[in-house]
Amino acid sequence: MQRDKSDPLSVVTRAPDTDYERIFHPKRVAIAGVSPGGGSGFGTLSLLSLQAMGFEGEIFPVNPKGGEITGLKIYRRVEDIPGKLDLVVVVVAAEESAAVLEAGRRKGAAGGIIITSGFSETATPEGVAREEEIRQIAAKGIRVIGPNCFGIYCPRSGLTFIPNPDLSRESGPVAFLSQSGGMASDYTSMGMWMGLRFSKVVSFGNGADLRESELLWYLGDDTETGVISMYVEGIRDGDEFLKALKSAARKKAVVILKGGLSTAGSRAVVSHTASLGGSRVIWESLLRQAGAVQVRDIQEMAQTCLAFAMLPGRVYRGLSVAGGGGALGIVACDTAEVYGLEVPLLQGSVRDQVASYLPKSGASAVNPIDVANPYTPPEILEKIFRVAAQDNRIDLQVLMLLPHHYKTFAGTRRGWRTFPHEELADRLKSVIRETRKPVVLVMTNTKRGLPDLDVVEVHAKARQTFLAKGIPVFDEIGDALRAIANVNRYYGKGETA
Amino acid sequence: MNRESAEKIIGSALAGGRKVLSEYESKRVLKAYDIPVTREVLVHEESEVAPVTADIGYPLVMKVCSAAIAHKTEKGLIRVDIRTDTEALQAFHEIKRGLEDQEGGVLIQEMIKGRRELVMGLTRDDQFGPCVMFGLGGIFTEILRDIVFRRAPLTREDALAMMREIRASGILDAVRGMEAADRERLADMLIGIGQIGIDLGRVREIDLNPVILSGKDPVVVDALIVLS
Repeated sequence: MQRDKSDPLSVVTRAPDTDYERIFHPKRVAIAGVSPGGGSGFGTLSLLSLQAMGFEGEIFPVNPKGGEITGLKIYRRVEDIPGKLDLVVVVVAAEESAAVLEAGRRKGAAGGIIITSGFSETATPEGVAREEEIRQIAAKGIRVIGPNCFGIYCPRSGLTFIPNPDLSRESGPVAFLSQSGGMASDYTSMGMWMGLRFSKVVSFGNGADLRESELLWYLGDDTETGVISMYVEGIRDGDEFLKALKSAARKKAVVILKGGLSTAGSRAVVSHTASLGGSRVIWESLLRQAGAVQVRDIQEMAQTCLAFAMLPGRVYRGLSVAGGGGALGIVACDTAEVYGLEVPLLQGSVRDQVASYLPKSGASAVNPIDVANPYTPPEILEKIFRVAAQDNRIDLQVLMLLPHHYKTFAGTRRGWRTFPHEELADRLKSVIRETRKPVVLVMTNTKRGLPDLDVVEVHAKARQTFLAKGIPVFDEIGDALRAIANVNRYYGKGETA
Repeated sequence: MNRESAEKIIGSALAGGRKVLSEYESKRVLKAYDIPVTREVLVHEESEVAPVTADIGYPLVMKVCSAAIAHKTEKGLIRVDIRTDTEALQAFHEIKRGLEDQEGGVLIQEMIKGRRELVMGLTRDDQFGPCVMFGLGGIFTEILRDIVFRRAPLTREDALAMMREIRASGILDAVRGMEAADRERLADMLIGIGQIGIDLGRVREIDLNPVILSGKDPVVVDALIVLS
């Protein structure tokens, strides 16, 4: 299919005049569609979520019946709200959405978030016509997110999704774009405990107006955003998307989860080239061509963004791998090789020094470093890591911790009641600062059943402690090495593994 | 590069109601874009055979050339390693018979010797427009599917990256006494295929398989262009 230049949908304006600041950090927000009696409609939930987040701006609930809700006056019409608006959240019925959006536009709103569904996704003529009406209003100057979406999560301003009144107000470098609201909600929730902190997350649903390409241009230049992640199903304009992607990927890492790769094209195919060029292989190739990092699932996306967010931007080829157990290290080395990473033998003097900190039997200082003891004291680990970093082939150090063993040994050593994560975090932080080589933690919890909820808790606390000290934590060695390899794919462009 | 002559070939096929170019026509389009193809001549009469074989020189390949017959091998209408005038005439008559009443002729072409077969191609993606393919050719194309795509137009860096990205990229290196492939020439070809996709909107698909490495030099041995 050739792009039809006369088709208005295929021409994406970059709209440099879009006031993103007022869309993401609004001071005055109308929520049209709250229920006066409380209730649990999406409009009311939008309001409650915003209040639970501690949104500092002014909120103007709207419902034709008027009244009051959670101490706020309900305006009967958007037009009745005094003064200008920055953002209007539309949660009224589909057929009323256009009028509310238009009212918001006349009130000076820079953006409208249309949560309501019942538009082009219904594939009915009425739904398509309603969306076209939204697009026409948008063209007059209000930028629209949605319809059929969860909207925006922006920790700095306190905007959030309806089902996520519990997201962090702490900002971070990770941005996320998604058609799917469910994916946006799940990803940010997952990010909370994994250590991701977000700049801006946009679920744009049908994407009648603002969508993937234009938001990519924006995030590419957004100084709050250090790494962009995206969930993509369909795109509106392949040419514009690749241009935006290429431009953004030149400035910062773009991590993409592409959904819908398995649906084979249904058109008739004559040549082998066309039959081989199903959507999967074309997407994979073109994402690589544009310099994006493609991932396979939401977990890999989150882990990869954690690595991009927490590791200094460079290629990490040589690793030291330390842990309490021989098999652990061997499997880690095998996995490293799969991802194009090396676990070089430590040099003579470094090796001798590492060995001097290890038990005389059952340990190994060659790399992988087997500390032969799952509860090696933090001061010993600190010494080992400081020495191993002296080997100039080591770019990054991996520590495989087994905190669940501390339950068994609690009380048997110098009065530890639990795993001494705070001491270890402090010691590792000083090693990282002095050696300028990052340390990545892998904490695999083999005890996650009901009898071990205390172990689960120790893990969660330890993770939080390490993350707070700037040390990334992964559940499995494969997750960690894959994320590091993805960082290498981005910073090592053009290099062969 | 000669875009006009390529347009002429496509125009006359379309005028004849055809959506598939013959191998001969396909290669003339490629040639217009400086893509190296086998030396070959299309003949229709017995009397033409001897002068052509003398000109190209043995060993030769002879095959049916008809837009109506896309799968020559399956139909048994291809003869390879022809070394004498007698063999050439015999092949000519057999292929002619196989043509039956369909339009077409017999393509006499140089036999390219090389153990490394590559594939190149073009497809039009609904979202991304013309995309160029590169990969492992011959019978391995469909078995291993070791292929990559780039969206046209290609930069030289895109083309070189494609060669690095296939799993079998080592096949392009000096291996087992064979010379390293001329990667710059391969890049020219991939860029040229992309340019065809940009210039000629009626070209829907291109399939060049095999592209054989004759020493270090790639040559398109079989070609199919599908129009829309």
